[in-house]
Amino acid sequence: MTRWLPRTYLTLVYLLLYAPIAVLVVFSFNDSRTGYEWGGLSWRWYESLFNNRAMVEAMWNSLWLALSAATISTLIGALTALALHRYRFRGKKALNGMLFVVMMSPEIVLAISLLALFLLVGLQLGYVSLLLAHVTFCLPFVVITVMARLSGFDERLPEAARDLGASDFTMTRTVLIPVIMPALLAGWLLGFTLSLDDVVVSTFVSGPSYEILPLRIYSMVRVGLKPEVNALGTLLLMFSMVMLIMSQWILTRSKQ
Amino acid sequence: MRSALQQPFKTAVLVLVWGWLLFLVFTPNLLVVGASVMTRDPGSFISLPITLDAYRQLLNPLYLDVFLHSLYMASMTTLVCLVIGYPFAWALSKVPRQRQVLLIFLLIVPFWTNSLVRTYALKLMLATNGLLNNALMSLGLIEEPLKLLYSEGAVIIGLVYLLLPFMILPLYSVFEDLREDLLRASHDLGAGHFATFVHVIVPLTLPGVLAGVMLVLLPAMGLFFVPDILGGSRNLLVGNVIKNQFLDARNWPFGAAASIVLTLTMAFLMFAHRLSKRRIGEEGA
Amino acid sequence: MKKIALAGLLAVSLTGCGGSEEPEVLNLYNWSEYMPQEVLDRFTEETGIQVVYTTYDSNEAMYARLKLLDDSAAYDLAVPSTYYVSKMRQEDLLMPIDRSKIDGFDNLDPELVDLDVDPDNKYSVPYLWGTTGLAVDTADVEGEVTAWEDLWDERFEGRVMLTNDMREVFHVGLRVLGYSGNSTNPEEIEAAYEKLTELMPSVRTFNSDAPRMPYLEGETDVGMIWNGEAVMAQDTMPALEYVYPEEGIIAWLDSFVIPKNAKNPEAAHKFINFVLKPEISALISEEIGYATPNLAARDLLPEEVANNRASYPNATDMVNAEFQTDIGDEALQVYAKYWEMLKSGQ
Repeated sequence: MTRWLPRTYLTLVYLLLYAPIAVLVVFSFNDSRTGYEWGGLSWRWYESLFNNRAMVEAMWNSLWLALSAATISTLIGALTALALHRYRFRGKKALNGMLFVVMMSPEIVLAISLLALFLLVGLQLGYVSLLLAHVTFCLPFVVITVMARLSGFDERLPEAARDLGASDFTMTRTVLIPVIMPALLAGWLLGFTLSLDDVVVSTFVSGPSYEILPLRIYSMVRVGLKPEVNALGTLLLMFSMVMLIMSQWILTRSKQ
Repeated sequence: MRSALQQPFKTAVLVLVWGWLLFLVFTPNLLVVGASVMTRDPGSFISLPITLDAYRQLLNPLYLDVFLHSLYMASMTTLVCLVIGYPFAWALSKVPRQRQVLLIFLLIVPFWTNSLVRTYALKLMLATNGLLNNALMSLGLIEEPLKLLYSEGAVIIGLVYLLLPFMILPLYSVFEDLREDLLRASHDLGAGHFATFVHVIVPLTLPGVLAGVMLVLLPAMGLFFVPDILGGSRNLLVGNVIKNQFLDARNWPFGAAASIVLTLTMAFLMFAHRLSKRRIGEEGA
Repeated sequence: MKKIALAGLLAVSLTGCGGSEEPEVLNLYNWSEYMPQEVLDRFTEETGIQVVYTTYDSNEAMYARLKLLDDSAAYDLAVPSTYYVSKMRQEDLLMPIDRSKIDGFDNLDPELVDLDVDPDNKYSVPYLWGTTGLAVDTADVEGEVTAWEDLWDERFEGRVMLTNDMREVFHVGLRVLGYSGNSTNPEEIEAAYEKLTELMPSVRTFNSDAPRMPYLEGETDVGMIWNGEAVMAQDTMPALEYVYPEEGIIAWLDSFVIPKNAKNPEAAHKFINFVLKPEISALISEEIGYATPNLAARDLLPEEVANNRASYPNATDMVNAEFQTDIGDEALQVYAKYWEMLKSGQ
């Protein structure tokens, strides 16, 4: 009993998790417009997706935004993690606490507070406001990822480097960076995905000058069943699979 | 011992991150607190005088109802996630190592996929002409299609679907750390399965449970797009109320007050989590 | 200080983008599915101006967002209903329209221009007009449905759809009680709210993004719908009937307006001018089922569109019809309060 029961249970939950996604993928190749009946195999929804200029533009915008937000948050996040790990300074606890608060606060609260700020300083809602917001909510995740890596790291290595006459800068470049590289990549990928997926914050801080994919999808799914959404969803699923496999590969390789 | 380069580097990093956090986290939150005690203004959103009207409005039975209903749906979501996730995480931690990696991978893939798309996929399943009803009808289990969509149940199902991994992952990590020798010791001391579960497993996994609750309950109150898509613009969450106040009804003080209450709920949960962790720490020592 | 920090951030974030020549853009803020893609494409083809089409699902949302983004000049053109035109005009949110740049204005139905909401159309140009009436899925609904009152019938429990539009839903409540749909009397509004709460157990969903979809998806069988949506739905679902309720239909007119701080008013004028071309107006009316106020376009409409009673009602259909008017901010607040109570009540 103890053998098959957990297995059945796991299988069942996975089936429930994947059933809607499977349906989505299958129906993205469905020729029928109404969405429920099977009307034969077809690529037409993918075609109509890529013929939609606004959609393609939103895709590029989103990719560019995710790319830049992930990069900037990885940069700042990694530096912060290094500082937290290596230095003693006043307000260290406060910094830690603040990052934790950002990570845990409800997205919607972050969203309205940023909206209030941007209106106050008169920043036009668009790429810059989205970027600032996305970097802000990605930051703590990068810090945590890098910190986790650093805490498992042999403290004697940098000491040894210094004893051998390496400057702080050289030590950072030749010892620290290679050690935290996998964490940087993992943090970057996490930030990239968080940015690409975000609806709540983006709803508040985006303007028409820079339309992004999640909001485009939002206005599509609110209208009702649209086969194009199936096609788009399938593409996004494949994309995130590739990203995830990449990050797993990086992490496992670095362990060996 | 400290090299000359270290100080400027440290200062630069600290200035950068503190600057970022002060400007984009601290100031905005201060603004929200400020907005919540101002007066609604149809022209410029907020104006003087300072007042607690927005908080008084929150205590209005209507909004209290919305808040409580949202809390109820979020709690149900959390409960369902816990009921599904707890045994799931346990079972997962018992699977051979190699397979575990794959299973966890499969668990995170949906989490890395756009949540709107997944909510939409769920709509495909739950719709009156949708697949679930078609399947049940062709199996002869029901005669009339079930009206699943646009209901409280649909919203909860949607939230569970989106948030389940957030419950499972912290639970999985505590089950991973659960030491077999403790369980064996409990058995050796004559405790039955049930007693071991209640007195050993539950307390040791409590931090994981609380972390999971925290990670599920809070988003479950804020994900406004779930009721929009699955709830028929009814069965509102606190997130919907906040969003409507800012983007529709233009009552900023009220929206700000509602979001502060949400933040306080979060603070309370975090505090409880800390407390339980400390207690475990003391008992372990 | 903040400005400096911001400038620094800008410098960091903007390197790598920019440089390439930006095409001219028109930011159009419109209701969902309220303009055929073909019209946008043809406009771009003719003028080289790209149209960015963003959507809203209620006048309130449109107004709130325009106000929010007032300074940043985000939108060049919006399409509020008449009663919001007067509100926005009075609040000085609109830019006067230069009639010399609009050729087809004289083709507009004299009955739909120079209305009280905007005397002499200084700030608005009519786009489409339409009605909100009853949708009945005759395949699933047994018996006749002829009046708003019928929605309260027990047999429709859990089968009714309402638009997600405060004024329209209250319009129905008020008309059923015999009041004007434009009432500003708080007691009448409260009575309408009480009446509507009795309807709530029957209401399955609110939808203003695409009110036809819940009927097409089989979720609801009866309720409110916009005439154009009904016409579009009939393509795939002939059983869906558009009924003019006895208490009177809700009539509205949506107009183009240019926000005061629009970045590209030139393109906005060009777009209005383009839409007012008879063949374009006709194409729009034919595609999305609403009535064009452009009389020159009406002559170009195919027989079956021009004679479609759902799109173009006849005189008897319009008996008791009421046009939505501006009711002022004070009354609007009363409506807003009861609307929230209605939607969040369990």
